[in-house]
Amino acid sequence: MSDAGGMPRVRPREDRVPWARRVRATIANQQFVLFVVLVALLVFFGSQNSRFFTTAEFTNLIIDFCGLILLAVAETYVIISGGIDLSVGSTVAISGVVGAFAMETLASHHVGEVAILLVGTVVCAGIGGAVGVLNAVLITKANLVPFVATLVTLSAGAGMALVFSRGADVGSNPAAISWSATGAWIFTWESMIVIAITIVLSLVLHFTAYGRYNFAIGSNAFAARVAGIDVRRHVASVYVVAGVLAGLTGMFFYIRLGAGAPTSGIGDELNAIAAVVIGGVSLVGGVGVMTGTILGAMILTVVTDGLIFINIQPTWNQVVVGAIIALAVVLQSLRPGRQGASA
Amino acid sequence: MFSSRSMRLFKGVVTASVVTASVVALSAAGASATSPHAAVPRAKKLVVAFEVGSEADPFFQSMYVGASAEAKKLGVTLIWQGDPVNYSPATQIPIVEQLLALKPNALIIAPTDPKALEPYTTQAIKQGALVLNVDSGQANQKPITAWVTGNNVQGGTEAAQALASAMGYATNCTASSPCTVAVGVSSITTSTDAARVAGFDAELKKKYPHIVALNPIVSQSQPSVAQSGFSQDISAHNLKGIFAVDGTDAEGAASAIAASGKTDIKVVAYDAYATNIASMQAGKIAAIIAQQPTLEGKLIVQYAVTKLRNPKAKVPHLTTLPNILLTPASSAATLAKYQYVAS
Repeated sequence: MSDAGGMPRVRPREDRVPWARRVRATIANQQFVLFVVLVALLVFFGSQNSRFFTTAEFTNLIIDFCGLILLAVAETYVIISGGIDLSVGSTVAISGVVGAFAMETLASHHVGEVAILLVGTVVCAGIGGAVGVLNAVLITKANLVPFVATLVTLSAGAGMALVFSRGADVGSNPAAISWSATGAWIFTWESMIVIAITIVLSLVLHFTAYGRYNFAIGSNAFAARVAGIDVRRHVASVYVVAGVLAGLTGMFFYIRLGAGAPTSGIGDELNAIAAVVIGGVSLVGGVGVMTGTILGAMILTVVTDGLIFINIQPTWNQVVVGAIIALAVVLQSLRPGRQGASA
Repeated sequence: MFSSRSMRLFKGVVTASVVTASVVALSAAGASATSPHAAVPRAKKLVVAFEVGSEADPFFQSMYVGASAEAKKLGVTLIWQGDPVNYSPATQIPIVEQLLALKPNALIIAPTDPKALEPYTTQAIKQGALVLNVDSGQANQKPITAWVTGNNVQGGTEAAQALASAMGYATNCTASSPCTVAVGVSSITTSTDAARVAGFDAELKKKYPHIVALNPIVSQSQPSVAQSGFSQDISAHNLKGIFAVDGTDAEGAASAIAASGKTDIKVVAYDAYATNIASMQAGKIAAIIAQQPTLEGKLIVQYAVTKLRNPKAKVPHLTTLPNILLTPASSAATLAKYQYVAS
């Protein structure tokens, strides 16, 4: 630790970071805390039942995580842009039901299973996108606040799912269920696709101009407009993206059940928002990181599944989830400063 | 484009506005209340309001078939209402309030809570209507004219026997190697679900000590949630059987078993939906416990009209219809008789 002349090299005072400050900074990093909580939960559930650390159980956990993460990603985009989307759960239901009708029709014409699933995916995404367009029109053209606009489509979507399905499941596709269980190691093919979409959308949020616009609009829409961003167009696109992701989740549930259930996804918007809040995304917009949302969704999944796994009374599930959300909000309020947009 | 049943479902989504419109229409037509317990002349067309919990449920759809046929036969006006999805007093109470504004001659209600609806029963009686319960019943039965329900405790008992038989209790379940079974309910607060689980647990305790029932998973009427919960139970335990307390859980159980590949797990499920009967015939469900919703709907309308036309007529206060055990050995005629039908 000396220079060429043998004199000890002294670091400038301002460069020295005492270890205590480093520890404090690490603890203040919500993603780190969430990661520690996640690991602690895994260790706890594993200590209660050794079967928890098996390939089969981790496959279950990842599948359940995938049933939530696309909705949570959708909410992350929407909430960072300064809005909220209450309709994603209903969109899962209506897209799953309509997609199931389309797939039933194809199956009755003896179309191959792969083609059926591909068309079903397109139809589900299309229905989700259509709901997103409706949200976008209500928000950017009719000037409804996002809460009200998406409340409208939440109610209408849930109702239409029942109308189309007549209250019963649509279709029966055992081959889809069988396919949903195939894959490699702890990843089914279906979950691999969902994880790939999540990674791509995470990169878009943090490493593209589109993502930066999202943070800018959520931080200060007026300033973003002055800076030349087409705010209405961007906001509209965010709701369409959220709708498409909800539609894809509808397809995800179809494959798991082998049918389009009109109740699938109903109420899941609250789980998605919970994951986002746990992950540290600010509900006032402009602040958040996708890794936080991912960790939030993982924690929710592990808690929900783990409590069943160790045979705890179901009533405790909601209590524990509520406590975790409260803890996350408290952690956010204790942070020394708000994290930067794409920090 | 939509069938009459679909339209009925759609009306359920906008229940409040539809019922309000009906209030105006009937008021304009001069509808008036009768004095308490006075016989209504045959010339005057009786109005019977019928409110159920989750109207889109095939169980209640089947009840509608019996109720509407009997109303037509007896020449009375039937107003059928209910929240399309939610089985909750929070959604049921506003609908009851609107129905009472119609001044019906009788109110038939399937209360979603044993006590929360009692003030509305009192109000109905004060304005001269008879009040009858169907399926579930309120705690205080004194003011209730008649109650027609299924024997859910007996159904739970039958389920325990059927599951023990399907698992080969005598040879496969021992003190050193007990059989673990999972239980799935839609809600732990619903009286019918609770009664079925109570009957099931009591029978296990009495006759099958080597069967261990896990804490119930709660599906919230969503098959994907049921599937996720059962997947956890399958992963955590060497599961031998599943008691699916309603049709939603039956669907979730079938999907979870198919995805896990553990097809030796035996399922006994409530409710004779067409899909459940098809699953039983395909070997995925060992037995079905069927209720008799069509008969319940028919009898309760019959009792209401009988008492309205002749207050001195005797109708049974409590009619408990047995739950029926259906197995793959049941005849086609028996299956057809008990399969839930839709209008």
